[in-house]
Amino acid sequence: MKSELLQQVRVIDPVSNTDKVVDVLVADGVIQALQENISDYPTDTQVRSCRGLVLGPGLVDLYSHSGEPGFEERETWRSLVASATAGGFTRLHILPDTMPAIDNLSVLTRLQQIEKAAAVKINFWAALTLGVKGQQMTELAELASESHVVGFADGRAIENLALLRRLLEYIKPINKSVALWACDSHLAGNGVMREGTQSVRFGLPGNPAIAETAALVAILEVVAAIGTPVHIMRVSTARSVELIQAAKARGLPITASTTWMHLLRDTQAIKSYNPHLRLEPPLGNTVDVQALRQGVRSGTIDAIAIDHTPYTYEEKTVAFAEAPPGAIGLELALPLLWQNLVETSEWSAVELWRSLSTYPTHCLQQRPSTISPNTAAEMILFDPQQKWAVEPQTLKSLSTNTPWLGQTLTGRVVQTWLSQEDFYS
Amino acid sequence: MASTWNRHHVLSLADFTPEEYDTVLQTAASFREVLSRRTKKVPTLQGQVVANLFFEPSTRTRSSFELAAKRLSADTLNFAASTSSLTKGETILDTAKTYLAMGTDMMVIRHREAGVPQAIADEMDRLGVRVGVLNAGDGQHEHPSQALLDLFTTCTLIDSDRPRLELLKDKKIAIVGDILHSRVARSNIWSLTASGAEVHLAAPPTLLPQLFADFTTNAPGKLFLHWQVEPALENADFVMTLRLQKERMTQHLLPSLREYHQRFGITRDRLRICQPDVKVLHPGPVNRGVEISSDLMDDPQFSLIQAQVTSGVAVRMALLYLMGSSKA
Repeated sequence: MKSELLQQVRVIDPVSNTDKVVDVLVADGVIQALQENISDYPTDTQVRSCRGLVLGPGLVDLYSHSGEPGFEERETWRSLVASATAGGFTRLHILPDTMPAIDNLSVLTRLQQIEKAAAVKINFWAALTLGVKGQQMTELAELASESHVVGFADGRAIENLALLRRLLEYIKPINKSVALWACDSHLAGNGVMREGTQSVRFGLPGNPAIAETAALVAILEVVAAIGTPVHIMRVSTARSVELIQAAKARGLPITASTTWMHLLRDTQAIKSYNPHLRLEPPLGNTVDVQALRQGVRSGTIDAIAIDHTPYTYEEKTVAFAEAPPGAIGLELALPLLWQNLVETSEWSAVELWRSLSTYPTHCLQQRPSTISPNTAAEMILFDPQQKWAVEPQTLKSLSTNTPWLGQTLTGRVVQTWLSQEDFYS
Repeated sequence: MASTWNRHHVLSLADFTPEEYDTVLQTAASFREVLSRRTKKVPTLQGQVVANLFFEPSTRTRSSFELAAKRLSADTLNFAASTSSLTKGETILDTAKTYLAMGTDMMVIRHREAGVPQAIADEMDRLGVRVGVLNAGDGQHEHPSQALLDLFTTCTLIDSDRPRLELLKDKKIAIVGDILHSRVARSNIWSLTASGAEVHLAAPPTLLPQLFADFTTNAPGKLFLHWQVEPALENADFVMTLRLQKERMTQHLLPSLREYHQRFGITRDRLRICQPDVKVLHPGPVNRGVEISSDLMDDPQFSLIQAQVTSGVAVRMALLYLMGSSKA
């Protein structure tokens, strides 16, 4: 029997709404006890002083992109899993826009071998439409029968509302999550940053907020008519937060997420023209960022997603407007969110942690992990003071497309415990 | 002469100081004198290499920069990329570093997308090399040398011997045309509002979004937006017209070039409500009969278009000279 005693560790547990310093005893992957002082433990216990360290449930990423299969130069399964582990994520949910796309059972069967070998729990968003092209629905019922399918998403906008309606009708009895991204490509046009005073000043084509909100209104109307629960991905505008709040108030079965980058950077940052700040949807204006932060705190926006999107140096070393959208984030999100939101006292530690671990599981109909006695240890130890440099050598991801490249961050995950239990209750 | 200059790169006019504008104007005035001599060349940049990296095709601006560098006795290199050569694996930074390895002292950069000159300048700074980068037009962002030559052209018209920023104070200047997509307009808004001029923008709302009202902050000159041309032209001292790209029709921004010319084209008739000695500028190349009527363009009583081209060489000489002697 292998046991570990974590002495005087700061436990942050959103499930029990706990933030306190205690001793934690773990044996054989199960949390045995949480007490102010544990003096009664087996003699061969590994004792570790954890003063100043934080112990919380493993983080759950709602959606991210894999390079493999098809774009192994960006990311392989091995590097993706290493990156997730280093960043404190114990559950990953992969979008289907690989090559080939995850749109049929044979692709999925091959990927399950990877899932079995992986150190973290990997589940997949199966495509809603063939080749994630937004045209022809996939064999949804068959895909849904696979336990590694967390739900359905294309990761791209489905703009044909007739198709969206039929998809939601067809999926209704299947009882799997559906994640949709609200974007009207005609309104977005060739825009590469959120339209506003800054886009005009920087001379970059603007993508107006209505490209998101007009599409969101349409999705909400379809959801209201059909009744199938839907998760709204990548919410990026202040107006969308209002629309989601109103929709929830009238009882629509929706959950929503924004991404960690949309909470930390706004259009001002694009003054640098750093191609790693080119995202889809684009970074918001200052009012959007404020509204998103408030939306997450109030629970209108349920969760923070990472939307880890690796691209190679060659792909990203181009003009801002020509860069493919997206940035990596699995190893960076927790330290940066902690430093910018918790250390500044804008959010409590529990507020941040629940939006990265507990609430994402609610959006996915999973059982959340918790730090409490007699539960499986799916948790991470985080040192909020450890400094490290973001460099190609320090990142586990194969790609380095992040605006924080070359900078020194404070905060790093130092240990991860993974549970082998099935988390679908 | 260059005592108030410590700018290593010229990427944008957004943070130009009044002293810097005056230094450019005065330096350009002395180079204009050089250009009027029988031997139109000075040894100022002898032994230095100026590379023109034009990732976007351009004949006029590139020729102007090349001549300016040659008049300063610099050696010039010209890189004219069809953008396809860059998709063969070489990045923009690779191209810049190749020219750096050849011993380039200054890079003049044009790119169809905003921010590329800045990205290259940042890379040069990161490498710790003293290479100056001059933005010769990046996407819809800025075209500082064009705005500075416009400034020089208008100021020398008022005081030929001592062109200076304050000469435009309280002058009314109209900028008419596709402002949304114009890097020339953006640079001109910075320089003209810095001078204390009243700057009046005029275009249909699709080409002049309300967002431009907040473009400048704390500038001495005021900025006005008009969705009709007449209020902008009324009593104007200078009218700047902009090139209208034909593809704007397919982007649902305008119904037709004909309607645009009817409502916003600069014609002899429209100029009657301006000051009697009003002058018209255009950064070229001109769509005759669209943004400006053909006969007006060739009329020396109104048109400063040829003077702008001539000023361009002196102003670009001034910029290369100042950057080459910068202590920063």
